[in-house]
Amino acid sequence: MNIDKPLRLASGAVLALAVSGCATFSADGGMGAVDQATQAKAGAATKLLRTDDDRQALAGQLRAMLAQPLSADDAVRIALLNNRGLQATYWELGIAEADLVQAGRLQNPAFGYQHKRGGGETSIERSLTFNLVSLVTAPLASRIEGRMFEGAKLRVTAEALRVAADTRRAHVEAVAAAQALDYARQVAGAADASAELAERMRRAGNWSAYDQAREQAFHAEAMADVARAAKAATAARERLTRLLGLWGEDAGYRLPERLPDLPAAPRELPEVERAALRERLDVQAATKETEHTASSFGLTRATRFINVLELGAVRERDGGEPASKGYEITLEVPLFDWGGARTRRAEAVYMQAVNRLAETAVNARSEAREAYLAYRTSYDLAKHYRDVVIPLKKQVSDETLLRYNGMLVSTFELLADAREQRVAVAAAIDALKDYWLADADLETALGGRLPASAQAHGAHHDIK
Amino acid sequence: MTSSNSRRSFLAGATTLLGAGVVSRAGAATLPEAPVGPSAATAAPLVPPNGRPYNPVVTLNGWSLPWRMKNGVKEFHLVAEPVVREVAPGMLANLWGYNGQSPGPTIEVVEGDRVRIFVTNKLPEHTSIHWHGQILPNGMDGVSGVTQPSIQPGKTFVYEFVARHAGTFMYHPHADEMVQMAMGMMGFWVTHPKDIRQHAVDRDFVFLLGAYDIEPGSYTPKVNTMLDFNLWTFNSRVFPAIDPMVVRQGDRVRIRAGNLTMTNHPIHLHGHTFEVAGTDGGWVRPSARWPEVTTDIGVGQMRAIEFVADNPGDWAFHCHKSHHTMNAMGHDVPTLIGVDHRGVAEKINKLVPGYMVMGEKGGAMGGMQMQLPENTLPMMTGTGQYGEIEMGGMFTLVKVREGLARGDYRDPGHYRHPKGTVAYEWKGELPPAPQAPGMQQLAPAQGKPLELKRGGGHEHH
Repeated sequence: MNIDKPLRLASGAVLALAVSGCATFSADGGMGAVDQATQAKAGAATKLLRTDDDRQALAGQLRAMLAQPLSADDAVRIALLNNRGLQATYWELGIAEADLVQAGRLQNPAFGYQHKRGGGETSIERSLTFNLVSLVTAPLASRIEGRMFEGAKLRVTAEALRVAADTRRAHVEAVAAAQALDYARQVAGAADASAELAERMRRAGNWSAYDQAREQAFHAEAMADVARAAKAATAARERLTRLLGLWGEDAGYRLPERLPDLPAAPRELPEVERAALRERLDVQAATKETEHTASSFGLTRATRFINVLELGAVRERDGGEPASKGYEITLEVPLFDWGGARTRRAEAVYMQAVNRLAETAVNARSEAREAYLAYRTSYDLAKHYRDVVIPLKKQVSDETLLRYNGMLVSTFELLADAREQRVAVAAAIDALKDYWLADADLETALGGRLPASAQAHGAHHDIK
Repeated sequence: MTSSNSRRSFLAGATTLLGAGVVSRAGAATLPEAPVGPSAATAAPLVPPNGRPYNPVVTLNGWSLPWRMKNGVKEFHLVAEPVVREVAPGMLANLWGYNGQSPGPTIEVVEGDRVRIFVTNKLPEHTSIHWHGQILPNGMDGVSGVTQPSIQPGKTFVYEFVARHAGTFMYHPHADEMVQMAMGMMGFWVTHPKDIRQHAVDRDFVFLLGAYDIEPGSYTPKVNTMLDFNLWTFNSRVFPAIDPMVVRQGDRVRIRAGNLTMTNHPIHLHGHTFEVAGTDGGWVRPSARWPEVTTDIGVGQMRAIEFVADNPGDWAFHCHKSHHTMNAMGHDVPTLIGVDHRGVAEKINKLVPGYMVMGEKGGAMGGMQMQLPENTLPMMTGTGQYGEIEMGGMFTLVKVREGLARGDYRDPGHYRHPKGTVAYEWKGELPPAPQAPGMQQLAPAQGKPLELKRGGGHEHH
């Protein structure tokens, strides 16, 4: 487009400025909203690490937290700040905001210069081009980019919450696995004592090779169990380490020796479905999507010739990644198509979004109910182990010792009993682990942290 | 039943003896009184208040059943019922017995007596009574199904016969007998000679040998146990709760015992020789008696031994099967003698707090006070004037003392040994221990697998 009248250019620029609303960069780059959401829903802050100072400050913060055995809450705090995948995701906000600001700015006029030479002739062509269409589409683009930015905030928040939930789960798994390893070692200790005593029995001439071999076989199996438990503990811990983004010396962090005790009472949540609908990000996203589609629908009806629908339809995610979140605005010349079909299509897309929202809501309600039921069942099971199974096993041990005192059973029965406790204690550790996992899942299903007041702390119960 | 009031009061916790002299409303009724057994202590001999005179026996940790005379017939009333027997202080057993105790009361009659015994069944299942050793009409023999229908719960049967022969007998069920005897249903029977001077002795003790399998922590015997019992009893009591047999020096003493366990018991008396004077078949002719210090009482047999207590002291009297002088013990406990526990004990202690090494040097507990399961007894127990006795089960003492009053059965306490008559520690110089030339130091035996050729004869290689 060749425009050689500067006046028209100037008037166009004024018009463009008038419609664009002139977006600028925010102070926090959108992280404020994410931070607010993670504080509310995950109980921990997030921060985009922009500078070396930020990173050093974090290193100091980490040192303090890693000096203690790492609690689940601290693990979440560290992950939200230090998980590099998450940091990468945080930068998405920067990209989205840049796009937003960019959309609000007019394209610079372009100056073209063409120099041709041929057939002994030289032609020089100068052109000053300015994207007129953008004058018309800039307000639309800003609006769309604004929504994209909002969407990016939601996505980033969702990703941060996912990492927080994964970290919480990984922490539970790592502590439980370490505890199981510790217990497997104790059991191996019992087997070791049996095997050694058996060997001495044999040496004293009191026992046959058969009896000795049996005790040694127990020991050998217990050692194999220790190896298996050690492997599982390492895997669980490394999973946590990855989520925490730790390496080197920091990866030598300590974990608590035991899972937290079962709370005195389970959470009473009579309105899990409502909470899920209110708090869950997927529901919020679907709601926004529907609003967005509705406004697109309205827009289409109003403008008819501006095709913004594709943007509204862009909602598929590719492998969980927000893949191509681009949009296209096409301004048509209404010669043949008066936009009737497009309006119908917009309506269909809108109704699609409405139903998707309904589906999301149905699923959210169902998942909330399921998670709550799983939570309550896990609580009851863990409580059953704590209050019934383990005390009974303890009683069996006590009674076995009394029988040993009365010379009614031998040392080997005592040790066999200690070995048999393994099954119950392992199951009890598992039940407690399942409880804490169900607790984390419940929070996820309900869209974030639940009020801590429901989590009255129970009396200290030793499950060993 | 008119005696139900007194029975109920017993069950409610009354432990006083409703003695032989009790005259109850039952006297006017058709059934004679069924007195309830006193505590598990030895009751004084029951001097016959009527009928032919006799020299009563002393039932060790038991009692004799009073009767009433009705038209010249001695009427007894036995009530078969569940009872709680004190096996020893600290241990109770849910048993089945008669008239509040197990074993039931001793029945004492005189040769030629016509005896009528009412048997009321208060057990949850039918029963019958067989009068072991009695010569009687077949229909009074008490084998349910063979000689009579069984006595159903709540029913009362009458047995009537003449006690024809003097001797030592017993009674027990012949209905579901495995269970009923395992539950303690048994009693002693003595038929005294018509002539009070015949076979007369100064002290005449009776008891039954019984075996029970009561798991520590439980109260009811395991009735299916066949041989692996853990309580070996005289009259359902174990040492140290079996009363001593107290006799005056110079007394002629008779001890009669019947065996209702499932194995034989070589009963051994220290300090005296005795003669087996009677079996359940009757009195042994003097020419056929031989001196013994141990007599084996086979299953279902009775023996009466007699001796003159000419040797003062506290003399052990026990079954010579060493496990039978133990209380509850584990029969599958491996031997730990000679097994070094150093290091291992600490490891075990970490897993089993409260674990103590035992048996490393032998079975003696060295006075260790250990907590046991409920309702059981230490394997070895009792304390004498010189320390632990380390015996339980079928063990007691015959206490021979000078100058006791006739009929005085009170425990005179520990024997006071005359000076210089107790074994003592040698504190002088020891002669060198003789050793065979070239003898090697003993070491625990170690072996190789036996090689045994099968199928081609029996030679070993």
